[in-house]
Amino acid sequence: MHNPLTILRRRLRGRDARTDGGATEDGESFLSRESVRSAPFWLPPALLIGVFVYGAIGWNVLLSLTDFTGLGTPDYGSLDFENYVVAFQGGTPSWSELTVDPIWNSLQNTVVLVVGFAAVCLVLGLLLAILVDQEIRFENTFRTIYLLPMSLSFVVTAKFWLYMYNPQTGLINIALGAFGFGPVEIVQNPDLKLAAIAFALVWQFSGYAMVVYLAGLRAIPDSHFEAARVDGASTVKMYWRVIIPQLRTATVSALVVLTVFALKAFDFLFSMYGYQPGPSADILATRMVREAYSNGNWAYGSAIAVVLFLMALAIVSPYIYSQYKRGAL
Amino acid sequence: MSFGTSTDEETETGTGYPLRRVVLYITLVAMGAFYLIPIETGVMTSLTSPGSYTGQFPYLPPLEPLLSGTGEFSLQPWQTAVDLLGQGLVNSVILVVPATILSGLLGSMAAYGLTTVSWRGQIAIYITFVAGIFIPYQAVLVPLTQFWYNVVPLRTAFQPVAYWVPFIQNYHWKLVALIVTHTAYGLPICTLLFRAHYKKLSDEMIEAARLDGASIYRIYRRIILPLSVPMFAVVFIYQFTQIWNDLLFALTIVQFGDASVVTQELVGLGVSQSGTNFPLRMAGALVAALPTLLVYVLFGEKFAKGVAA
Amino acid sequence: MAKLTLDNVTKVFTEDDGNEIVAVDDVNIDIDDGEFLVLVGPSGCGKSTTLRMIAGLETVTSGEISLGGERINEKPPAERDIAMVFQSYALYPHMTVRENMSFGLEESTDMPDDEIASHVEETAEMMGIGELLDRKPADLSGGQQQRVALGRAIVRDPEAFLMDEPLSNLDAKLRATMRTELQRLQAELGVATVYVTHDQTEAMTMGDRIAILDDGVLQQVGTPLECYHTPRNQFVAGFIGEPSMNFFEMDVRDGRLVGDRFEYELTPAQRDAVGDADRATLGVRPEDISVDTEGGGSHAYDVFVDVVEPRGDENTTHLTFDPGVEEPETFTATISGLRHIQAGEAVVATLPPESVHLFDAETGTALHNRSLETAEVTEQLT
Repeated sequence: MHNPLTILRRRLRGRDARTDGGATEDGESFLSRESVRSAPFWLPPALLIGVFVYGAIGWNVLLSLTDFTGLGTPDYGSLDFENYVVAFQGGTPSWSELTVDPIWNSLQNTVVLVVGFAAVCLVLGLLLAILVDQEIRFENTFRTIYLLPMSLSFVVTAKFWLYMYNPQTGLINIALGAFGFGPVEIVQNPDLKLAAIAFALVWQFSGYAMVVYLAGLRAIPDSHFEAARVDGASTVKMYWRVIIPQLRTATVSALVVLTVFALKAFDFLFSMYGYQPGPSADILATRMVREAYSNGNWAYGSAIAVVLFLMALAIVSPYIYSQYKRGAL
Repeated sequence: MSFGTSTDEETETGTGYPLRRVVLYITLVAMGAFYLIPIETGVMTSLTSPGSYTGQFPYLPPLEPLLSGTGEFSLQPWQTAVDLLGQGLVNSVILVVPATILSGLLGSMAAYGLTTVSWRGQIAIYITFVAGIFIPYQAVLVPLTQFWYNVVPLRTAFQPVAYWVPFIQNYHWKLVALIVTHTAYGLPICTLLFRAHYKKLSDEMIEAARLDGASIYRIYRRIILPLSVPMFAVVFIYQFTQIWNDLLFALTIVQFGDASVVTQELVGLGVSQSGTNFPLRMAGALVAALPTLLVYVLFGEKFAKGVAA
Repeated sequence: MAKLTLDNVTKVFTEDDGNEIVAVDDVNIDIDDGEFLVLVGPSGCGKSTTLRMIAGLETVTSGEISLGGERINEKPPAERDIAMVFQSYALYPHMTVRENMSFGLEESTDMPDDEIASHVEETAEMMGIGELLDRKPADLSGGQQQRVALGRAIVRDPEAFLMDEPLSNLDAKLRATMRTELQRLQAELGVATVYVTHDQTEAMTMGDRIAILDDGVLQQVGTPLECYHTPRNQFVAGFIGEPSMNFFEMDVRDGRLVGDRFEYELTPAQRDAVGDADRATLGVRPEDISVDTEGGGSHAYDVFVDVVEPRGDENTTHLTFDPGVEEPETFTATISGLRHIQAGEAVVATLPPESVHLFDAETGTALHNRSLETAEVTEQLT
């Protein structure tokens, strides 16, 4: 490891051993260092991000410790963790006369939705990728069609699927009717809601999983497939034991992105249900927006947002760290 | 890659094609139908006059009186949709164009300063950029609302602009706030995309330029920028789609009103006391989706590449 | 005018885990104005790093580099008035040949556009690429791209040229043609040139002087023939010359060399050179060994032919003392291409004492080099 005394000594004597060409040289002034000379390029964006992203996150944490309910300005003088206590235990916070429900329900729904959605997306995406990989004609056409839903806004998707799920005029129920099943209420049905939402989201995003897996499949040399065949493996066995294990990287990267998408699925739910998706479909994102913008409990909303942020952080940090270690950043 | 060609053991169907391939194509087409059906029913419904709409055969085109129950063909839903969404469309365009260009340009500059120009510690700064891609927007909504409404006097500062510049209204200040926000939040992914591109450029070429006497700025303008054009296409398409389709930031920063963008307007479209006007709803959804759909169909290849990054 | 000097130049790389790697160790070289110096050595010897330090693309850990008497360690590459040709040519793919060649003049001088244009055209004519000026690099062949890279360097009229293995991406025939062309060009332009290569043939044929590096340490600087005939150590002796010199490690006993397979009688001068060392390495070049079907005398040995490589102008024969062994130890001798020699044949190899070199077995330093007593050879070296 670096001996700090050696480094200090070298610095004082004006010698600097560096591996990057163009870094600080003997007696180079501050202004001619590469990091400073290139600053006009990376500093403005960095400042923008610093203020709007990280500054906002920090401020949000601060807000979550206040009692702000939208009247006047937040009181930054008295900070406490009350909102978090209420979030996990329920009760009557000091800034409200009514009891406030804890967020466990939303948390559970969030986890169920995210896990279900991500899992189905990955499986469907993988199957599609395997199919598309079979040297088919019109491959581009098929790929374009499968990815089409991704170009749509959540709002548009919500409108389309509200229509599809409609008990009287929706295609789903018409199809069910053809088989003799009565019309089923889907969108307002507490038992089916979450699954219906996940299904629509899968419709929108499985194309992404397909693209990632397709790239992953194509990165595996033909010889692996051929060797497995020569070794006598059936198609299913070949994929299961030889190919899929090699798709680990693709799976991880797709999983991270899909998970974060699902955590954000607010736009879709809002377009379908407005502020009130109902307890069986209420996820952290919708709960947060409702508390802040509909109920006026701004600080409480901030606290919920912090929980959501930490969840995303927990998923993303190991991923970024491993990418950094592998030099893949 | 795969095992595409047929072997002797394949069972042949009557047409001479191996059974396996037939099943493959049937599956592919079925999946294609799965992805297209919601859109297709939307299109069919949107072309039906609301009065004659029965909802019995949403997947069939309105061919009344040839096929009873399918409704009469009419462009009225589309006309109404465009009327109602017109302002929102304009606002979306005002939002998307500057935000896309700015985030793309700044992303390219940031990637240049953090990748092509090489200095210690830049990876740490880059990591803060990348982490920004995964932030759930909920985590910043309240501060942003506070920022734009209670902290920064943009509304008042904008008034003179609205006064002097033709076509600009007072309420457009909200769109300015939204543009800045989307630029800041689009920067991480734009930087990531450009960085991947710049890493592939030849180091020796940049060194040659340095030896040729070009400064950091000149290298960017004369060498990097021209070579970034393909990536700009990807970035612009991606950002256009993301920003056009966004609802959450629009809801919280612009809120409902004159400055609403098309995604906001769409949420309430077609819902009234007299029940749901499906043709109008579908027409509205399609009108709102048309720009991104078109961009995707026309430039789809580049879009797919950007998505896979 | 533009003499390039390297004084005690050292480059140390520090890795992430604190490891220090000495890539270039205390190198001293003077390059005269107009001289063509070749930096040669095996991969990883530090020659590219040295070149990059001269260019300013790497910082100098200690030591001084000066151009025209002026220290340039702190000057950024753009201000050093040095032009470089890269191994991959590093042409700007989106610019035409003309724009590629004008770029340096536009960026580092105040020359007016029309002057730049005429300079570019002159240089392009000189390089034989006048008709290619409006094409883009992707439309050019490898050889053409290389000329453009050269032209781009030449048009800047620098104080010194640096070339980093510019010929290694060309096929063999083209490489040979470009070698002579480069030499002619350099002589015409009269600018100090530092040329890096790992190919000792290029070094021998092109350089006014060559500098041989191994593992960051300068082994020898001299004219090609000096290095060939009077190598300073075993590394230089083995590196220069193709096929390379044969080495035999032997014990020194009573004024003669004693090895596993044969003994070698030393001349009095050689005995003096060896001094009281116990072991010494005997070196002799393949072309100095004479091979006959019969013969005798001192310094003649009975050997067998293992493999013959016919090259047309010469036959390279691999000779061994143990014919029956699986993978025998061999040494090389070159003989005329017109002679018939077959594997398995028994022959007599003579190692003339006036042609042998002696090296210290431990340090590799040359103790005694071959005598150059023919008048022609002595003339060439002086």
